[in-house]
Amino acid sequence: MNTTETPADAAFEPMLELEMKMAAFTADWLNCDQCSTYVAGMVSLDRHDPIRHANVLSSALNELFEMSFHARERDGAFVCRFYRRDETERIELTFPCSPEKRRFYDAVVTGLKSDEALANYLDVITSGAAPAEHAILLGLAINYDADITLFYRDTGMLTFVVDLPLERLLN
Amino acid sequence: MSTYSSHRFTAQFDVNNQEFSLCGVLRPHSVSELADDLALLRNGVETVKGVCYINLKRVTHMNNTAFRALAHVLIDATRSRPDIKLTVVASSVVAWASRLFRHLNDLSPNITVEIYDSAFYPGQTFVENQSFIPILRTQTKMTWRHEREILPRHGLREGMHIADICCGIGDFAMLLRKDFKPARIVALDHSIPSLAYARTVAENFDVQDIEYTYGDASQMLFESNQFDFVTCRHSLQIFDRPDVLLRELYRICKPGGRVYITNEKNSHCLGEPKAESIQWTYNEVAKLFAHFDMDVEMGPKGRRMLLDAGFRNVQMESFMVTNLDDDPQDFADIITAWRNVYADEMAVRRGDSPEFIDRFKQGFEDHIFAALHPRGYAGWPIWASSGQKPL
Repeated sequence: MNTTETPADAAFEPMLELEMKMAAFTADWLNCDQCSTYVAGMVSLDRHDPIRHANVLSSALNELFEMSFHARERDGAFVCRFYRRDETERIELTFPCSPEKRRFYDAVVTGLKSDEALANYLDVITSGAAPAEHAILLGLAINYDADITLFYRDTGMLTFVVDLPLERLLN
Repeated sequence: MSTYSSHRFTAQFDVNNQEFSLCGVLRPHSVSELADDLALLRNGVETVKGVCYINLKRVTHMNNTAFRALAHVLIDATRSRPDIKLTVVASSVVAWASRLFRHLNDLSPNITVEIYDSAFYPGQTFVENQSFIPILRTQTKMTWRHEREILPRHGLREGMHIADICCGIGDFAMLLRKDFKPARIVALDHSIPSLAYARTVAENFDVQDIEYTYGDASQMLFESNQFDFVTCRHSLQIFDRPDVLLRELYRICKPGGRVYITNEKNSHCLGEPKAESIQWTYNEVAKLFAHFDMDVEMGPKGRRMLLDAGFRNVQMESFMVTNLDDDPQDFADIITAWRNVYADEMAVRRGDSPEFIDRFKQGFEDHIFAALHPRGYAGWPIWASSGQKPL
């Protein structure tokens, strides 16, 4: 799971790339909402039901954007790449991340594969102390059937690779 | 309503219905942005008896922060008020909603989650029936020859962004696309079989640029101010709350754009010979629909409704679909389909006597007779109205 490079997957077709300076991205909370809505609309146009696809993709994407926002990093860039393979959307989200935060994400992502994921999610929903990022990642796995993996780079950048089978979920 | 909510979402508590409702996009940065709205819910819960409804069917987005905050309030409510039940209502249109909100029931057996995918309006079960598809197809074929001439008078031009709301089987959208070459056309309906039919037809004709979408016309997922021309044909009359639907049509229309509606006045359907029998049956049709909270006498009310909804430059005209327009058998086929649904399904559902149903059916038979008679005349009047959204 934790390597220095994201694997090139020729089966996924690249669709769109969004890059912003972290300082610009984190300057306004509404960037999460506006970017997720705009981008989801763009990449959903040729889906079976573009409107509903954009709605559900925007919801998942917004969660990821909000998670990046919560990272509180202001240096470096925030990069979001979109790919598609058949009924699956792939989101690659790269942003700067401290080693401490990286270890936190690593532990959460490892736990997503656990049989206890749903029980953990219910605990996190009701716990006021659980960090938002924990609830977001569990929520994506439980509510969107997301397959989430992590990749590190020596440059201090962290990449989430999130596969979302949205067409199946919608139909 | 909080400051944040003023342009993103609304929260209300209806004391009479014991219902807390949220509507719109809930993506707060922190829980404090929802404080007033959650207090409204907390206070409301304290006042109810029996069941408290949490209406989330018009929430188009809710982030993790908002969901957790809502869940906390609801869980607290089940503890402070173990004597009441909480019923959360979510929309089937918004795919993430049912998957997210179901967890509330996992958290407490006193919270139930209902997915709102039927009873948008009282007549839905009749018109979403697949047996209705042939009616819709023939009706559009017969009305199009009139509407093709009428629509430009109501502002429709080539190259526009068009939304056809309550599109049914999508045939009107196909005709719009062919004759008015829109830059974009979206067609929305809540009938999955009708949309499946529409998509199949589009695929068979290699039409790829109509965006068909499953949706609730009274709470659409479209952004506001998107479309130059919004059509909604024969549908306001079968909603029990046409004002709600009209507000949505207004919302998605661009300032300066127009909303075009058509509706009937069924009691004005006519025919010769056997005019009296025909007249009696169609008067009864209006009463039958009224029994199910539908107003098929709405046609002439279109002008007032558009003005009340805030439209300007309202235009209105009527046209009569008749047996002389083309093949009289097409007209007869429409009446046959009406007879089958109105007499055999709706009147039966209302509990009408066999004697009433026989007489009711006879009027349709006489209308068919008039349509097919070599010297007969049969008519079905329709009112077309449109209004401009102010700039």
